[in-house]
Amino acid sequence: MAHTNKIKTSTGEKIFTVFNYTFITVLCLIMLYPFWHVVMQSFSSMEETLKGGAFLYPKGFNLDTYRSVFNNPQVYTGFATSVMVTIVGTVLGTLLTAMTAYPLSKSRLRGGKVLMVIVLITMIFSAGMIPSFLLIQELGLLDNRLALILPALVSAYNCIIMKNFFLSIPESLEESARIDGANDIRIFFSIIVPLSKATIATIALFMAVAYWNDYFSTVLYIRSSEKWALQAVLRNMLTNTQQAMAQAGVNVVSTSNTNSETIKAGTIVISTVPILVVYPFVQKYFVTGVMIGGVKG
Amino acid sequence: MVAAAKPVHELSAWERFRKDVVRDKWLYLLLLPGIVFLLIFRYIPIFGNVIAFMDYNPYDMGASTWVGFKHFADLLTRPQFLQVFGNTLYISILKMVCGFPVPIILALMMNEMKNLKFKKVSQTLLYLPNFISWVVLSGLIMNMLDPDTGVVTSIINSIAGEKIQVLTDTRYFVPMLVVTDIYKGAGWGTIIYFAALSGIDPQLYEAAEIDGARKWKQLLHITLPSITPTIVIMLILTCNNIVNAGFDQIFMLYSALVYSVADIIDTYVYRIGIKNADYSFSTAAGLFKSVIAFVMILIVNTVAKKTGNEGIW
Repeated sequence: MAHTNKIKTSTGEKIFTVFNYTFITVLCLIMLYPFWHVVMQSFSSMEETLKGGAFLYPKGFNLDTYRSVFNNPQVYTGFATSVMVTIVGTVLGTLLTAMTAYPLSKSRLRGGKVLMVIVLITMIFSAGMIPSFLLIQELGLLDNRLALILPALVSAYNCIIMKNFFLSIPESLEESARIDGANDIRIFFSIIVPLSKATIATIALFMAVAYWNDYFSTVLYIRSSEKWALQAVLRNMLTNTQQAMAQAGVNVVSTSNTNSETIKAGTIVISTVPILVVYPFVQKYFVTGVMIGGVKG
Repeated sequence: MVAAAKPVHELSAWERFRKDVVRDKWLYLLLLPGIVFLLIFRYIPIFGNVIAFMDYNPYDMGASTWVGFKHFADLLTRPQFLQVFGNTLYISILKMVCGFPVPIILALMMNEMKNLKFKKVSQTLLYLPNFISWVVLSGLIMNMLDPDTGVVTSIINSIAGEKIQVLTDTRYFVPMLVVTDIYKGAGWGTIIYFAALSGIDPQLYEAAEIDGARKWKQLLHITLPSITPTIVIMLILTCNNIVNAGFDQIFMLYSALVYSVADIIDTYVYRIGIKNADYSFSTAAGLFKSVIAFVMILIVNTVAKKTGNEGIW
């Protein structure tokens, strides 16, 4: 009886296992296909993209698309702006977040609770788009790349994650340094920061992705197109192809092997490549990130 | 003399306070830049919301006049805003209802995979869309749904037997939002459930197997009860987003043709405020949203704590 039961179970389980692997495989392929499609399209010829259909491989392979895309000066300024904003924003933001969170993790700090409430309120009450815009205007930061960096520098959410991590560092580690005469700032930079590398890296990762993907700040705060972030340049090329093609030096009636579809595909590819390049290396931090965020994700 | 007349413990409390502050001066110094930042970039805009109660003159603040709740009354009697508000709730609730179970099911399925390499690779692929901006994703979506050349369009058309323009048809736009939202977020959403699943004691399964419990029974009696707290807290937290229907996504994909179903509070505030420079009215709309979100988060946090979960704070 027990024997037949076991066989029955394993048959059902086998069917389930096959179904399970098949289903997830198909799902992954569906997830991946749109990316694959545009990469293949970007290497394809104009006639083939106009015909449409699936692109499992480049049809009429050529590099004209990338010649046109890299002919567009906006792609370079957009790239430069986004790289600058991402690096400066992430480094400064992570540093400021850690500096803010560390004192708040000390229960002995007088007024710490009040300061924590000040931080918390910014998380539960959002100021709204128009007042934020008017502030940037008042500060004279309109059309200044600083407006792409400053507003997102410190978030209450990241502060709380950092603070919770700092709470888990045993006090005794600081005591010996204090006896040696080190002050809190020294302790923070020479003991706390090195101990918190994984947490800091996780927060830096998510900040970097947010900065790199930020499109709306450009829409709100930046007028001159040479100061646009890459996402805004990309958006412009996606929605305003004629202009984008003109900028890329493509004569619409010329014999060049590109059209709006391939240009769009090529721009999507080059703006996604940096994320895809970094992605495998930062993956190990995902789990840390979820663990420290706890269920508060 | 007067000070000396005070009770000793009170005096020493003040002295202790001063001593503590001096002792921790470096900590306050570390804290200073962050707090100053929050005061400037978060608190000034929060107080900036007062222009919702004014007829704000952008060129001369002094010429602005107080009008009380005029803009809010205007807001709540404008059919356009009521529609926008309805759209916001409808889209966000539909996303919650359809999107919430997906990561749970995915995580449970992938948890059954014995091939760790396969599991890791598929996790990597499923997480990916979460890190891609809506600008890029909207480009992909427009490509896939192009009325003439789109791959997905041709599949839909052959099923429907007619030419369907998903992005400009009010019947299909919102379902498209829901599907693409799941596409971007569901894979990443599994990570929290994986964390919960990895916390289950393997001995429970061993004991169940000895008792002859099949996989299905194990799922019902061990796995699901073990991750229920996570499911509950995620469900509660999702309710936070009731007024956030997904600004970036909609902003990238919508057009005047689908405003009637797709225009949400954020996109409305953007068009009225930034495009038309009607600052006071759009600030009132934004504040209306912020207040609802604020009340929601208070409710959610209380419910979370009452149900024995950790709150957000």
